Amino acid sequence: MANSANTNTVPKLYRSVIEDVINDVRDIFLDDGVDEQVLMELKTLWENKLMQSRAVDGFHSEEQQLLLQVQQQHQPQQQHHHHHHHQQAPPQQTVPQQTQTQQVLIPASQQAAAPQVIVPDSKLIQHMNASNMSAAATAATLALPAGVTPVQQILTNSGQLLQVVRAANGAQYIFQPQQSVVLQQQVIPQMQPGGVQAPVIQQVLAPLPGGISPQTGVIIQPQQILFTGNKTQVIPTTVAAPTPAQAQITATGQQPPQAQAAQPQAPLVLQVDGTGDTSSEEDEDEEEDYDDDEEEDKEKDGAEDGQVEEEPLNSEDDVSDEEGQELFDTENVVVCQYDKIHRSKNKWKFHLKDGIMNLNGRDYIFSKAIGDAEW
Amino acid sequence: MAYQLYRNTTLGNSLQESLDELIQSQQITPQLALQVLLQFDNAINSALAPRVRNRVNFRGSLNTYRFCDNVWTFVLNDVEFREVTELIKVDKVKIVACDGKNTGSSTTE
Repeated sequence: MANSANTNTVPKLYRSVIEDVINDVRDIFLDDGVDEQVLMELKTLWENKLMQSRAVDGFHSEEQQLLLQVQQQHQPQQQHHHHHHHQQAPPQQTVPQQTQTQQVLIPASQQAAAPQVIVPDSKLIQHMNASNMSAAATAATLALPAGVTPVQQILTNSGQLLQVVRAANGAQYIFQPQQSVVLQQQVIPQMQPGGVQAPVIQQVLAPLPGGISPQTGVIIQPQQILFTGNKTQVIPTTVAAPTPAQAQITATGQQPPQAQAAQPQAPLVLQVDGTGDTSSEEDEDEEEDYDDDEEEDKEKDGAEDGQVEEEPLNSEDDVSDEEGQELFDTENVVVCQYDKIHRSKNKWKFHLKDGIMNLNGRDYIFSKAIGDAEW
Repeated sequence: MAYQLYRNTTLGNSLQESLDELIQSQQITPQLALQVLLQFDNAINSALAPRVRNRVNFRGSLNTYRFCDNVWTFVLNDVEFREVTELIKVDKVKIVACDGKNTGSSTTE
């Protein structure tokens, strides 16, 4: 039954390709002086993305977790990545903010029990709990202001929440919210997986300033209260730091003293909205005006878009080709090689081989494919 | 050199994204990432042929066709892909096919 299990062969094939690639590049990594640890990170990242994409079923999720546990136990306490997520680690790490190496906590993020992606928008923070969306996918699906990129929240096994913020300048920041701040009396909005969370702002801000001061003088985005198991933690989400702070915090984690210097100078600025907010406010106003205009226009025209006397700008509906597709966010793609392509008048015949297909979000593979189409 | 064709697949894209993240965090150099991708090309090309043995038929209507640099690109509409076990219908599919006769030049996607 070669065909009975395209669903079985695909994960196996992917798994074996991953193994082959990782083993083959191990030498290259070592030649470049890159630690084996990084290689393992690559593998973990890769596998997790595959799992998240849901293009492949049952992609070794159990093996993955076993491997992760093994990895965690074997990992030396590498401070140079700064982050530590093990069960062995103390529940609270009082690592001063400035001495944190600003490196992306990739291993932790992938090993988190509940990876959470928070994408700060200028107005809205959408919190997706284990929504299986990678940061890239999240950015693609959510309209983000130009200077904002997904903030990845890393929930460690010890319950710490760290944030990786990737700013427009490419630098990444890691912020560790104060563990001591646990608000229990606040109204906690329920987190729904995949749902959109309205930012909880004002209530949270009040008790926090003291707890947040160690953070460098960055603009604090609306904060969210997250459910992490039974604990509720407040995570200040920072997006765009003021320029001096940005320049200071580089991806290599240098210049802690400068960050410290900036700290007392810049008082904690608690912003309800994002830095680049004014423009979107304007947009909103404009949109509201447009809606009113549209309604008036429709009344006048009697819902006919034929006579366009008024502005043609928005009375024309979007001819969105996309809506015709079943899955608007998946372009069904087949990547393969051709043995023979034949055409007779307008009748085409395709003889293809060794292909990988992504149809309706799922992956399929074939060794041969034969097709007919009329043009 | 194997075709770079398969980089635009779930497997390939997730690898590229992972490499990008590592580059962002400066854990690897772009050069190293490129080497990894080249290795991936080899691995996927050599893994596909022996490991997969199934056949698919499809039928649809051809919307566009393009043949450039020995690469065929088709866009088909209302296509049914038929395997022994299952039937998959899509409204639109894009097929990119490199020359299967000999894996000569590598084609960047």
